Amino acid sequence: MKKKLTALLLVLAMAFTLVACGTGADNGGSNAADNTANNTANNTANNAADDAESEAPELSGTMKVVATSESYVTLFDKFTEETGVTVELLSMSSGEVLSKLRAEGGTPSADLWFGGGIDAFMSAKEDGLLEQVNFDAAADLAAEYKDSENYWFSKGITIVGFLLNNTLMGELNLTAPASWSDLLDESYAGEIIMSNPAVSGTNYAVVNALLQTMGEEEGWNYFDGLNSNIAYYAKRGSDPSNKVISDEYAIGITYIDGTIEALLEDYDVTIVYPEDGIPWVPEGVAVFKNAENVDAAKYFVEWLFSNDKNLQLLAEIDQKTSVKAIKPTMEGIDLSYDTGILMDEDLSLFGSERDAILAQFETLMGDKAVDE
Amino acid sequence: MNNRGHNTQERASLRDALFGVPHLSGGRRPGERKGGALTAGSLLDKAILLLLLGAVCLFVLWPMACILLRSLGDGEGGFTLAAYAQVWSRYRENLWNSVFVGVLSALACTVFSTAAAIFIATRRGWVKMACMALLLITMVSPPFVSSLAYIQLYGRRGWITYRLLGISWDPYNCWGVIWMQSISFVPLNTLLLIGILSKLDTGSLQAARDLGARPAAILRDVVLPLMGPGILVSLLLSFVRSLSDYGTPVIIGGRFSTIASEIYLQLVGYSDLEKSSAMNMFLLLPAIAAFFLYRYLMRRSDKLSEGSRSRQGRLELSLSRCGPVGIGIAAVSILFFLMMVLQYGCIFLAGFLKSTKGVYSFTLRNWEELWRLDAATMVRSVVYALIVSLAGTLFAMLFAYYMERRRVPGRSFFDCVATLPYMLPGTCFGIGYILAFNHEPLKLTGTAVIVLANMLFKQLPTATKICSASLTQVPLALERSARDLGGGQLAVLRDVILPSLRPAFLSCFVYNFSSSMTTAGAIIFLINPGKKLAVFKLFDAVYTGDYAVASLIASVIIVIVLAVEGLAYLITWKGGERNVS
Repeated sequence: MKKKLTALLLVLAMAFTLVACGTGADNGGSNAADNTANNTANNTANNAADDAESEAPELSGTMKVVATSESYVTLFDKFTEETGVTVELLSMSSGEVLSKLRAEGGTPSADLWFGGGIDAFMSAKEDGLLEQVNFDAAADLAAEYKDSENYWFSKGITIVGFLLNNTLMGELNLTAPASWSDLLDESYAGEIIMSNPAVSGTNYAVVNALLQTMGEEEGWNYFDGLNSNIAYYAKRGSDPSNKVISDEYAIGITYIDGTIEALLEDYDVTIVYPEDGIPWVPEGVAVFKNAENVDAAKYFVEWLFSNDKNLQLLAEIDQKTSVKAIKPTMEGIDLSYDTGILMDEDLSLFGSERDAILAQFETLMGDKAVDE
Repeated sequence: MNNRGHNTQERASLRDALFGVPHLSGGRRPGERKGGALTAGSLLDKAILLLLLGAVCLFVLWPMACILLRSLGDGEGGFTLAAYAQVWSRYRENLWNSVFVGVLSALACTVFSTAAAIFIATRRGWVKMACMALLLITMVSPPFVSSLAYIQLYGRRGWITYRLLGISWDPYNCWGVIWMQSISFVPLNTLLLIGILSKLDTGSLQAARDLGARPAAILRDVVLPLMGPGILVSLLLSFVRSLSDYGTPVIIGGRFSTIASEIYLQLVGYSDLEKSSAMNMFLLLPAIAAFFLYRYLMRRSDKLSEGSRSRQGRLELSLSRCGPVGIGIAAVSILFFLMMVLQYGCIFLAGFLKSTKGVYSFTLRNWEELWRLDAATMVRSVVYALIVSLAGTLFAMLFAYYMERRRVPGRSFFDCVATLPYMLPGTCFGIGYILAFNHEPLKLTGTAVIVLANMLFKQLPTATKICSASLTQVPLALERSARDLGGGQLAVLRDVILPSLRPAFLSCFVYNFSSSMTTAGAIIFLINPGKKLAVFKLFDAVYTGDYAVASLIASVIIVIVLAVEGLAYLITWKGGERNVS
């Protein structure tokens, strides 16, 4: 028995040292990689500046990416092929990323932030958590979709619309809403679901854009009215569409992208683009300040936006054509909609007004939030 | 400690003699005096204790202190109570909601668990085997997927509620949360109670029967009181778990929100670490209160279970002869098992079903998706879970022993500290780890150690409680006699305590392993992008709304967990056989 116990202890001790060794080696490896990356980056910085379409600089090591989904793996595979930088991908929502960044206190555990509502990127920039990325092709990008000081860029635009469950609409005898103002109709009471704007970048865009369009007073009146029709505010961004396809709610206010369009095949649902304007929000891309492999991440941003082929690949993955709006000079993609249907939004107000808007929204939800 | 047992005075003095001066009985040389050379055994004994306490300080107390400091910070290095003032004025209602849900969930869950445990303990043959198997399966509760299955079954358009019974009810409220929480906590509690029932003192039962007591009376006056400590543990575990559970209210709470779900919202929606930290401290109030109430009640109920146990054996009782109580127990258990079959059947089925415009058809398409899961991720998950369950179970057994049976200075304090991780939502414990371990010399962020330690200490409170509950059934007399025969502290631990904890070892291991495989909250903040775990693939699938794939991944995780647990069961069972022979 004694032997067994000692043996068990030994095994455990060994297991722990193995783990420790493994991570130690990893750190050593990436540090070494960092140094080489630094050196080569200094060498190649000048070259890269000469020619945007230049050869890939000699980067190495690993680039850690937090992204909204793992579906971008083919894009990063291409990057690995061309630069030798291995990419590790982790999916996280932008709110989670921001919380983690703040907790890490300047020692970020990832290098690149890929996708997510732009409001989180704006907050991160304000907190000094992002790295400035200057490159030639940045001049080709539409100014309204990127940070004026190059701390963040957009990889696409998410638009917002309604997803209707046709079966439920029929059962409940509801007529399809065509506009934002239609949603106020009493017949929809308890059948509309949207995400809490604090959690969902797209639904925050709805609130901010409608407030900008309607003006403060009328805007808040609108949400007050809408509130009495909303069943509840989901705490995850993908909930509205999921609840609609699983026959739980008739109307969802949700982002509309390729994945939502794909639902039309398998489910009896309809997408409605509200005729009084479509709110939108850019999806951010940024490099974390003080990141371990900051050079690789910076080069990735340059690599992505400088070469139209890479942007096309991204558009394929996202099943979106909005990159054309972000880089109007790019070829090979046509915008599938006229940007005129998008609501007029002053993006600069997105970051600055966020706290105040969310606080007011919380009070507005509050009268029903307490009990059921 | 001193007020354990009937004749406190006598025991205390006896124990003083045994514990107070360990060297008298500690070594093989009874003549050795205090201050003399310590034996290797007692040195090792002290070293183990220090290691345990040190680890608890480093991996629980320090991250908690970081959360506390953060909650007091004003963002610019100064201190302020602003976050607390805000939390107090705005979230009192949520605290009340948390306690309300917690109490009801704990009560409902304990009723279910007690009934199910008695039901299984009185059954023989295939019914018992089937119920045990079901419990083991349902111990594995993959995050989100269970709640989604719940909605599928009992939602507004649920298969059961709407399609079968034609009821149009809304599950997105506090009752949905209470219902879902109670049934999801049952499997663990039931296993714990079965462990206690299987070691019941059959002498008392026999005596009661000989005295002519009817089965119903035996159940009420003998069995239930003997289960007292286990029921208390079940109540505490469920109450606190409900307080810190954010997943259920987030998914099916609708407009109803508890403190835990508000903390989640603060973290993912506002990224406000100060406020969420303050809310954590707020949440600790009822949790710690419950903990001390539990300790107080536990000490009182110890008296009951401390009798000598000449015979331990199976529960010989026929429920059908127990009157209305027996029928009630059987009915509640059958209802519970039926719901579990439905829920997990729903999870398994969802992986193979394809809904095309409301018509379901069978498909293997999702299996192809599953192959995209890389093997390395699966293997890593299993290895991590194995490390955590072995180390965690050993840690819990030792920790429970030192806390329950030995005079450790500051015992209550350490016991309480070790319970803290259980009281916090997983996400916050994760944030605490990042705050605590992001700078030299304690830089652990991005390593595997931080992930392993987080899982181990998050699960330690439950594991320790499982061991403690089992330990109360190891008669002090047994320990004492071993000591009187000259066994040192370590010898007692090795030859008396650890062997008698074998059933606890198994439930501890099962709990640790399945929790590690399905760990949700904390890990998302700690994991390194290159070292993903299987549960992440699940998150990803849930996030993109691909429930079929999520269900399939969940099913695979369940199968893996069952396979490993089966193996563990075989090994301990074989080990047990060998020891007996």
